[in-house]
Amino acid sequence: MLISVFNAVLIALVTWLAYRYFELRERTSPTEERYSQFVSGVASIVDRLEGYDAAHSLEVAQTAEKIAMADGFEGEQLQALKAAAMLHDVGETLLPREILRTADRLNDEQTYLMRTHPLLGELHLKSRMQAPDEVPAIIRWHHERWDGLGYPDNLKGEEIPKAARILAIADAISAMRHSRSYRPKQYKSQKDIDAEIERQAGLQFDPELAALWLKLSPAAGNN
Amino acid sequence: MLRLQSSWLLEAVGEIGGVDSIFFPCFHRFSALSWLSRKEITLYLNSPIDSQAMLARAWLTSRDGGFSDKNLLKFNQVIKKPLELEMNPFKTWKERLFTSQQLDYLFYWREAAYEIDDEKQREIFWAAVYQILSYWLTSKGFVGRQTLEPDQIMAFCLEQHRSFVKGRTGRIEISNIALDELAVDRNPLVAFPLLFDDEETHETELQTVFHAWFHGHADLEQARRDIKNCLRRYLISFEKTPDYSTFVRLAANADMAVLCWSGRDLPPKLYEQEIVEPMRSAFSSRYGRSRLFFKAVDRSIDAYDYLLVFHS
Repeated sequence: MLISVFNAVLIALVTWLAYRYFELRERTSPTEERYSQFVSGVASIVDRLEGYDAAHSLEVAQTAEKIAMADGFEGEQLQALKAAAMLHDVGETLLPREILRTADRLNDEQTYLMRTHPLLGELHLKSRMQAPDEVPAIIRWHHERWDGLGYPDNLKGEEIPKAARILAIADAISAMRHSRSYRPKQYKSQKDIDAEIERQAGLQFDPELAALWLKLSPAAGNN
Repeated sequence: MLRLQSSWLLEAVGEIGGVDSIFFPCFHRFSALSWLSRKEITLYLNSPIDSQAMLARAWLTSRDGGFSDKNLLKFNQVIKKPLELEMNPFKTWKERLFTSQQLDYLFYWREAAYEIDDEKQREIFWAAVYQILSYWLTSKGFVGRQTLEPDQIMAFCLEQHRSFVKGRTGRIEISNIALDELAVDRNPLVAFPLLFDDEETHETELQTVFHAWFHGHADLEQARRDIKNCLRRYLISFEKTPDYSTFVRLAANADMAVLCWSGRDLPPKLYEQEIVEPMRSAFSSRYGRSRLFFKAVDRSIDAYDYLLVFHS
């Protein structure tokens, strides 16, 4: 008798908790979705300013999400990576427009300026945030290289947070797929892009994540 | 593991006073200083570890171009027949760390470097080996086929070095002096990247392997002891009673001191308790004020970066 009462109370409690959870999720999800759409809108403006011929930020975010989920990212960690991927080049909007839209290769001074965009992006986002958040930090490090020769901080290997390492691969994949104002499309197929990712594993990219991408790639069956 | 963020460091100290030079009594990794080496700031860098000081010289003070084409042609040879393993001083690393082919090249590159007359050129060549070791050690087992042959990766690393040193103008002095013997000149800022005693990372393993290779032996325990010995009283240990007298002595003539470290798996509150408060107490006779800055890196694993600035 006592056990039955206990079970009944337990079932009622679990039902109530589940109800509260779904009610809460229903309340928060649309906000999250709206927020995500808003970020996506901002990202598309950045893409236009950068001179991309496609929705670069969205593509980077989708690739980053694919790698991150396969690597076990979830919850807030995954949300932070997606937001950072959408906004990774936001610092470029603060650079002179002629650098972004030039049809020529950048000279040394322009390259130096261009390389400040992760810092500008981080600084501007951080200045608007009250609580500590990793999104600005991920943006800061999306051009770091596994071998320590990236920028701005020359972080090396595991020093680079995993989210930034994933973003670096996703950004490179997208950049290789499309042309820019100053260069034509460099790779003919996903297979060629994957060969370059493999070649740069352990140099530009985290070798473990590069290997993971090679399994996830749309061309995986052909590799 | 430490993420030194030089621009953040300058922002933090910039709120207190401008700096035209920075003294690093012990830097943790040469390439982390790249951003500062391109600024109009004089850098005084010291590493008590000879192999690390050599790497910094090769990467940060080479302004007149990289490895010459003539030397590249002469010293970046392809080994066509496997070398006699018994002759190889690194033979005990076989399979555990490197393949036979890689060991052949490690032996050949070390010997070939002694044939290079110009010391700067020799150090650039050795420094490329550091990059190659890093590549081989960290990509071992992950990628099905490494598409670059040893001579190709050597050429690639030397080319990277050439791009890295291009346009560097800052004034940089690099020394290799034991911390106890290091003279402490007047300086606006002394920076201490904090190193933790119990930390084993890819980078610490690489530094150990490179140190052994640089000294021509395969004894990693010996290399580890050498490095630890050079860093004694600088390494932070949570196990022992803190003794920060080395830090205080090295900051004796600096207007400001900044400590930087990266933490994970522990909340900021614990770092405040275990590092910030003891450091504040140690530096209290030298500096009247201090300020702690921290940044979130990955809150899911309590990863934060810290800067602790002391000033008068």
